Amino acid sequence: MKEIMQYINGDSFLHSMNPISKIAAVAGVIILSVFTTNSMVLALMVLGILLASLKAGLQQELLRQLKLLVFLSVSLILLTVLTMKSGATLGYLIPPGVFTASGSFPVTTGALDFGVVLSLRFFAMLFSFQLLVVTTRPSELMKALLAIHIPVDYVLMFVIALRFIPSLQVEGQRIHEAQLARGYNPGKGLGGKVRSVKPLLVPLVANSLGRTQVLGLTMDMRGYRSRHSVEKDRLVWNKIDFAAVGCVALTGIGVVLTGLI
Amino acid sequence: MIELKDFSYTYGTAESSVLEKINLEVKQGELLLVTGHSAAGKTTLALAMAGVLHHEIGGRIEGEIIFKNRKIVEFDGMKELSRHIGMVFDDAESQLIFTSVEEEIRSGLENRGYSRKELMRRLKEVMEFCEVRHLRNRAPHTLSGGQKQKVALAATLALDTEVLILDEATAELDTKAVRRIFSILKRLKEAGKTIVIIDHNIEDFLEIGDRVVLLEQGKIKAIKSPADFTAFSPDSKAGITEPARPAFSVSYKKGKEKQPVISVRNLTQRYGEVLALDNINLEIYSGELVALLGENGSGKTTLVKHFNGLLRPDSGDVIIKGLDTSVTPVSELVKHTGLVFQNPDNMLFEDTIEAEIAFGLNNISINGSEAEKAISDSLELVNLSKKLRVFPRHLSRGERQRLAVACVIAMKPELIVLDEPTTGLDARESDSMMQLVRKLQQEGHTIVMVTHNLQIVKDHAERIIRMEAGKIVEDTGNREYAGREQISIEQVGGTCA
Repeated sequence: MKEIMQYINGDSFLHSMNPISKIAAVAGVIILSVFTTNSMVLALMVLGILLASLKAGLQQELLRQLKLLVFLSVSLILLTVLTMKSGATLGYLIPPGVFTASGSFPVTTGALDFGVVLSLRFFAMLFSFQLLVVTTRPSELMKALLAIHIPVDYVLMFVIALRFIPSLQVEGQRIHEAQLARGYNPGKGLGGKVRSVKPLLVPLVANSLGRTQVLGLTMDMRGYRSRHSVEKDRLVWNKIDFAAVGCVALTGIGVVLTGLI
Repeated sequence: MIELKDFSYTYGTAESSVLEKINLEVKQGELLLVTGHSAAGKTTLALAMAGVLHHEIGGRIEGEIIFKNRKIVEFDGMKELSRHIGMVFDDAESQLIFTSVEEEIRSGLENRGYSRKELMRRLKEVMEFCEVRHLRNRAPHTLSGGQKQKVALAATLALDTEVLILDEATAELDTKAVRRIFSILKRLKEAGKTIVIIDHNIEDFLEIGDRVVLLEQGKIKAIKSPADFTAFSPDSKAGITEPARPAFSVSYKKGKEKQPVISVRNLTQRYGEVLALDNINLEIYSGELVALLGENGSGKTTLVKHFNGLLRPDSGDVIIKGLDTSVTPVSELVKHTGLVFQNPDNMLFEDTIEAEIAFGLNNISINGSEAEKAISDSLELVNLSKKLRVFPRHLSRGERQRLAVACVIAMKPELIVLDEPTTGLDARESDSMMQLVRKLQQEGHTIVMVTHNLQIVKDHAERIIRMEAGKIVEDTGNREYAGREQISIEQVGGTCA
């Protein structure tokens, strides 16, 4: 089974970066992608992230999300085309003369552009976030988040959410097998998916809820709320860190100066 | 060290108390064993001793608990108590927070603010101590149940607290691993730690225990020395009618002339790099009661998943009642093979027991009066007839396990495969489970049970197959096995319950 959003052991340049600078870079990418409406800037940013993943040998990891992202993009572009009219009209989804004389659902450059911008935003945010998660040990991620004064409860919530993704996948598989052993055969397609919700999700959710108490107690017993000190020297900065944060910052400044926002 | 004075406790919404007027003192350096049936209040007592009831759970508390000459309620929450008390719970999965074994152990050490050198030393020591060093880079969800328990224990031991409380922390471990924990605890005791072991099966630890507390319905029924406890012979033996011994290996030999129900030829199965099954050859005949033994991770569960087509052979053949599993759909195979998994909570989802059983029947197109009859017959068999309309998750663990069996036997498969049918059950519950198994055999079912519990194997199995690293290393009738195993149990003090 393929695991999603899990740390991958390795020694690429992304692995050796300081988690804080990675978080800063990702935060920068996210802020930039929300504020800019220029598809070129966004495209360059996505390209930059892809190049970084290529350098780190993690492109496969990112490309696994491609199916979802392409689906998302196509829906977004379709949605903007259907709901937004601005700029020149390129053509019609339903050509003139089919139902109406002038054609229905005009495809405008403004709508296309906005759809592309929305899609690229998702690409940039998801890819950069994923690179952060797969190249940072959860314990270091935790240390970094604590170091930038995120409250410990939120940090633990985040780390645990990541940790339990594959466990839920495994457990979902087990539940699926247990139900198969009872002759359960939901069938394929959407109907099957809907029918399988109750036999699979009810045990999964009930088991997860039952688990929370032990999980909470364990964290208390191990002293996560009473950390004596965090060894700050273990989060060292190196050249790549400065380069990464610098790159994102420069892009930001460039965007502001050229008035692309 | 820990003293409970007239301590009574009631959970928030409950009406009756879980613990009643408990007076107990755990001395410094003592190894205290606490035992009793399910729902006797064992886990609640553990939580009380650790201060969790006062500081985290709340509820109605009477009496008081003194820890290190201070009222436990006066401590600064679990924050302060966790520096003195370490606790390991039975649900290992929920105790692993990080994505690798090494991180799991290390993060606790970092919280305590050890220096880097000291941290590395302790990390290495604990990993070797608990034999988890080879797993250091593995992710928790890839570990077996027993391995997870070892890691959870290691992570707690690393913290080096004065008090250690183990709540059913060895339930999923095999004999060898329990033995290992035994020697770890022995060393910790020698080092002056105060240890409380709470388990429905404490026989493995009697040798190093100082006192045994027997809980019953929230009260202390008796406090004994381990020697007295053995003589007294708790409910695991006394008070339960000894089931009739099977006619050793008779049906095994007789069976050889019949057609096999299961026939496995040259079966090999890989999980990525790991060779889970290595050239297995096996025939199981109608009416046999077979126990499949082996250490954690030896391939037992992988093998039985081939019996109903959940796994398909990488190479080799598995033939069930003449059906080749590589081409027969699971929905067809389940009519012949009923597989009951270890954790009943992974299958129960309906609102009533009746509906729960009907789900399986409807899946193989049994409806109406035929289904009603199958439901009442199977509930009769597992002794749950009176609970037809109960919400399945409100049943006790033992009852849920029996319900899981009922769900499968209602479908009338000839072959019934039980994966660890007694794990997590106390002596009384596991006995009624095994009586059910014998009853099913008498009704003509062929039974394969996966287990690491040597006692139930000795008492009930006719044929024993032992696996090691994906291979069958032994396949014998019970008599000679029982004789030989008797010696080795005494040598290693195997798991009994």
